[in-house]
Amino acid sequence: MQRHSDEALVAYLDGELDADERRHVEAWLEADPAVRDRLTALAQSGDLVRGAYADIVAEPVPARLIAAARGVSESAPGAPQEAEILVLKRPGWAALPLRNRRWQIGLAAAAGLFGVIFGGAGTYLGMSMLNPANPALEHRLAALAANNTWLDNAAGYYKLSVSAGDTMLIDVPASNDPQEALQKISQSLPQQVRVPDLKPWGLTFRGARLVVVEGRPAAELVYVTDNKAIGPLTLVIGASKQPDIPPTFDRRQDVNLLYWRHHERAYALVGQTDIGYLWGIANDIAWQLDAI
Amino acid sequence: MSFRWKREEAPAGAAERADPASAGFSDQLIAVLPRLRRFARGLAGAPADADDLVQAACERALARAYQFEEGTRFDSWMFRIVQTIWIDQLRAREVRKEDGDVAEERLGSDAAVRRIEARLALAEVRQAVQLLPPDQRTVLMLVTVEGLSYKEAAVVADVPVGTIMSRLARARTALQRHLDAGGGIRRSGNNAAAQ
Repeated sequence: MQRHSDEALVAYLDGELDADERRHVEAWLEADPAVRDRLTALAQSGDLVRGAYADIVAEPVPARLIAAARGVSESAPGAPQEAEILVLKRPGWAALPLRNRRWQIGLAAAAGLFGVIFGGAGTYLGMSMLNPANPALEHRLAALAANNTWLDNAAGYYKLSVSAGDTMLIDVPASNDPQEALQKISQSLPQQVRVPDLKPWGLTFRGARLVVVEGRPAAELVYVTDNKAIGPLTLVIGASKQPDIPPTFDRRQDVNLLYWRHHERAYALVGQTDIGYLWGIANDIAWQLDAI
Repeated sequence: MSFRWKREEAPAGAAERADPASAGFSDQLIAVLPRLRRFARGLAGAPADADDLVQAACERALARAYQFEEGTRFDSWMFRIVQTIWIDQLRAREVRKEDGDVAEERLGSDAAVRRIEARLALAEVRQAVQLLPPDQRTVLMLVTVEGLSYKEAAVVADVPVGTIMSRLARARTALQRHLDAGGGIRRSGNNAAAQ
């Protein structure tokens, strides 16, 4: 019976038959070329369906769904602040202990890795349009330069973290009392910093490092995972005088960056994983930090 | 059985609890969101409808978090919620078709649209999935796309394993028929080769 035949063949493809049933189907396939063709066609249709829906899981998850999963309407006021909040003070820059100047070494190394690169648009503006009599253009160029520089640095810091592996130097290990430790290091940061919880994405907060964004100290939050397909991720949060921008994708060599600015803060999510995955995480971070 | 529904009533105060769900529960929910969106896309078709479906499922899951039994498969539990809401929506819209009642008239009803879609192989497959009856579509998504076993799919769909087998076989053969009838990947590939 055809229907019975199709059921057996589909179950065979799905690995749902027991040993006896499997032998029966294999004998049937051996004896009848038409059945083999039928099996091939059914296998092809299964592959087509899987392929047709494969990319959806890599799409960015809308913020409203993340909010719904957390039990809060996206637009509802007073969203729960699950992330840790740190109130940071800013002492004199020279007051930083030597141990905490490690970022300066990191910055130099990052520059060595990536250089201070101006994008094509920036180069065009710089070469042909920079005019002291045109403050607007100067401002745009300065903004573009700052943007490129800090993204270069964010990617450079990320590469340093990846290459260091388990020996990565962490200024604020997550294993210690995070409140006390983060307050200690972030005394040099001019803004509040929260630590998003990314456990739903399989990422564990390892600790924070002190870096530089737009010439000012910032926090680089380091997240790690055993899943090498995802790899470590970093989230750079710093103060910014630049206007707000929506999440924007950029790339430095093999490093993906998703960056945005909101309410005088600059954010960059950095990693080597799929951009769709980064979008999903960025949505969650934005929700948690109310960053967008 | 991969998970069990708790039969007891909600604990006192559960409905009006101030904390809608633990952080751990929400974490599980967020982790499964990409797969829920894919499953919902297979059921509902349109991305916006699918996300509405997932959002409704999240809200229902949080409201009924007490029904989930720790140690059982969370994804299956959520698939069932999504499927239940979708079926309710279909019934409300009175568009649910009887099992085996395929909307043949929709096949090739618009030649111009079909020609465009023939160039988009993935979109064409998704369109063919949308032509399947809801019961078949559900099983196809659960087993073939989401990788659930027949037993797990049977629990989600609340039907015997034998029903899963028959629905799946009909879905796969119907899908193949739709793709062939609609020009399918094969013709699309031929066109591309000809060009």
